[in-house]
Amino acid sequence: MTKAFYQPFAKAAVALVIASSLVGCSSLGVQPWEKDQLARADMAFNSEKLDLALDDHIYFSKEGTSGGRSLAGGGCGCN
Amino acid sequence: MQLTPKQSIASALALASCSLLSQSASAADAIPANDDWKVDAAIMYYGEQDRVQATEAIGNVQKAFGDTSLLDMKIVVDSLTGASASGAVAQAESQTFTRPSGDGQYTVGAGETPLDDTFHDTRVQLSANWQEVLNQDWTGNVGVYGSSEFDYLSMGINAGLERSFNKNNTTLSLSGAFTNDVVDPVGGRPVAMSQMVLPGDYASDADYQAAFDQTRLAGDDTKQTTDIMFGVTQIINRNWLMQANYGLSSVSGYMTDPYKILSEVDSNGQTQAYRYENRPDSRLKQSVFLLTKGALDSGVVDFSYRYSTDDWDIQSHTLETHYRYYFSPSMYGQLHLRYYQQQAAEFYQPFLMSGDAIPEYASADYRIGDMTAYTIGLKFGQRLSGGHELSYRLEYYQQNPENNGTEIPGQLQNYDLFPAVKAIIAQVSYSF
Amino acid sequence: MSLQPRPWGFLGSFTAMASPCELLMAVDDEPIARQMLQLAFDEAKRIEGKFSRFIKGNLVWQLNHAQGKPTPIDAETHHLFEFAQQCFQLSEAAFDISACPLMALWRFDGSHRVPLQTDIDTALLNVGFTHIALTDTTVTMPAGMSVDFGGIGKEYAVDRTAQMLAQRWPTSSVLVNFGGDIACPISKDEGWQVGIENPQQLDSAAALLTIRQGALATSGHTRRYIEVAGKRYGHIINPKNGYPVEQAPLSVTVLAPNCVMAGMLATMSMLKGADAEAFLQQQGVDFKVFR
Repeated sequence: MTKAFYQPFAKAAVALVIASSLVGCSSLGVQPWEKDQLARADMAFNSEKLDLALDDHIYFSKEGTSGGRSLAGGGCGCN
Repeated sequence: MQLTPKQSIASALALASCSLLSQSASAADAIPANDDWKVDAAIMYYGEQDRVQATEAIGNVQKAFGDTSLLDMKIVVDSLTGASASGAVAQAESQTFTRPSGDGQYTVGAGETPLDDTFHDTRVQLSANWQEVLNQDWTGNVGVYGSSEFDYLSMGINAGLERSFNKNNTTLSLSGAFTNDVVDPVGGRPVAMSQMVLPGDYASDADYQAAFDQTRLAGDDTKQTTDIMFGVTQIINRNWLMQANYGLSSVSGYMTDPYKILSEVDSNGQTQAYRYENRPDSRLKQSVFLLTKGALDSGVVDFSYRYSTDDWDIQSHTLETHYRYYFSPSMYGQLHLRYYQQQAAEFYQPFLMSGDAIPEYASADYRIGDMTAYTIGLKFGQRLSGGHELSYRLEYYQQNPENNGTEIPGQLQNYDLFPAVKAIIAQVSYSF
Repeated sequence: MSLQPRPWGFLGSFTAMASPCELLMAVDDEPIARQMLQLAFDEAKRIEGKFSRFIKGNLVWQLNHAQGKPTPIDAETHHLFEFAQQCFQLSEAAFDISACPLMALWRFDGSHRVPLQTDIDTALLNVGFTHIALTDTTVTMPAGMSVDFGGIGKEYAVDRTAQMLAQRWPTSSVLVNFGGDIACPISKDEGWQVGIENPQQLDSAAALLTIRQGALATSGHTRRYIEVAGKRYGHIINPKNGYPVEQAPLSVTVLAPNCVMAGMLATMSMLKGADAEAFLQQQGVDFKVFR
């Protein structure tokens, strides 16, 4: 996994994935009454938000990269 | 009741049934009130083998106001003790280092990775966020944040807007944050790349103090962070969701770690001096995050990938998954796996060579070096009566720093300059 | 659990108490319909969980395994027992919730076998509501006796759900339908159209009723029966002799102000066998009998 391999391609590939998902979004999805499974509490994006916040803090302190899932929750003197 | 003539059975039944229903209305369990308050609390212990230990407690409270507004408040208290790698390298003899405050030293044994155990700190963080459904399609949110510890103060604001399309199947979001940090290290900020002074080298305390002060800058410094994130959430089908985020972050100000040093070694690997590290005063980061989450018959699963790159040349890939399985409607087990791979910052070097010119920026902090890290964790949760939930998790986190291609001279070849860091994470949470 | 929109509002469906359950809601708001459906589902599941004789460890299971010792009960259970007692007396011992062992004998599982007379006689020894001692806080039954709230449970769940929905949303008209036991607590102007299944042609409506307010219950064995030598034995057992009621109608549907009452009248009329229609006529209630 070298620098040269990733730099230009990764950004373009990801941008393409996002763009295509936007374009194709009208064919994806469910009717409002089909949201029973998605309405489950454990299916929410922040269903385990304390775990995610604690993990984020640990990895922010011990690694060189942070955030991604949401706006970095704020600074501290850890890194 | 006496036996009644057949014609009155219906009326007798009418009386009996009405009596049953009206009495049962108060007798049966009360309908739980539509509780607007939701509280989540957790306490976590993080412990590295022979190094840093931290305890963190979080309390989060959510209150809904009507159907459109939500207030979210959080308090975090964490306490850190133990030692962490200072950035210096091991040597055949024992080494002595001056503490960041200038008062006192600490000694590290022969062959040991130098660890600085000066860190004993407690931090308190408070944040609040308000979310408002503006109309059928738009939702907005604003928030404030503050964190305070002995040598660091951070305050920030954030705001975001979401727009949904396609019967709420697609949501686009744009959010931004601005944070201002004030860094006031113990003993003041070290002068970049200056040499560490030791009392033993000076005739008198006054001379030593004067020399030490020469290596320090007075006052505090600041750092500003501006973040923007653009996100898309898409419902794929009845069971699957996905999320994609693109984030841009610009940081400017003091980003050096005032407690980290580098060893300056000669061609035999013998340490000649210690120098305080220095990092650039600006950093531009970009990240792309993809997540998919699926509802299974008896569980939930998610997969995520994050790619991050910045102008310090730190690039990373993160792969993460959670798999939850319900043993019964009220008890679940969850497996957590994470793989992280990082490429070193361009100014990262495990040590300095005494013949070379002193670079403008250098850091031996393994946390911005080449590294791979693994996490494996297990969590168990129980749903209790009244919608309460108790959960506990145990995780193992191992970081494996790697050489970024530096040639290792002389005696340094005898030591593991990139020791693995192994940590246990244990947490108990309760929500109601 | 599923929620589907309809021109007149929303239709919610789920399965509980071994029956298909429906909730018809004349509301415009999807979140409200969802809340109503959740409430109905939770109440149906709660009653099933508490009073089903098939769930190990629950209240009824404890009662049935108390081996002659008194079992503490809560107010709701006490009221249900009191009601069962009143029904036992009004029906002249024809309706008896302790007739459990007899029902266990006649297993309507598709095997089409008639139990032995000796087995029926043994089972009869453990039947008889008069042996049940009921106080405000306890129930004491002889060891070997067991109760089954199957004859009241579903209708009670319907009425409880209807009551809770009416209390919480007093202006919204709903129709609660748990496996054919129906209640409509808040009047609907045009009324709800309800079809009564034709027992000879299952799944097609033989009669159409318009209900504005009230309840409807159907007692019948069109779907659960044993057929041996051309004779169909229904699932209403006469606790006095241990045999399915002779010449019972195929199905009886009764209208009444609440579901529990409608259900009990329907059951009582079935127990009358050939006199079902006469009984219901005497009671002055609206009904439909299929033979």
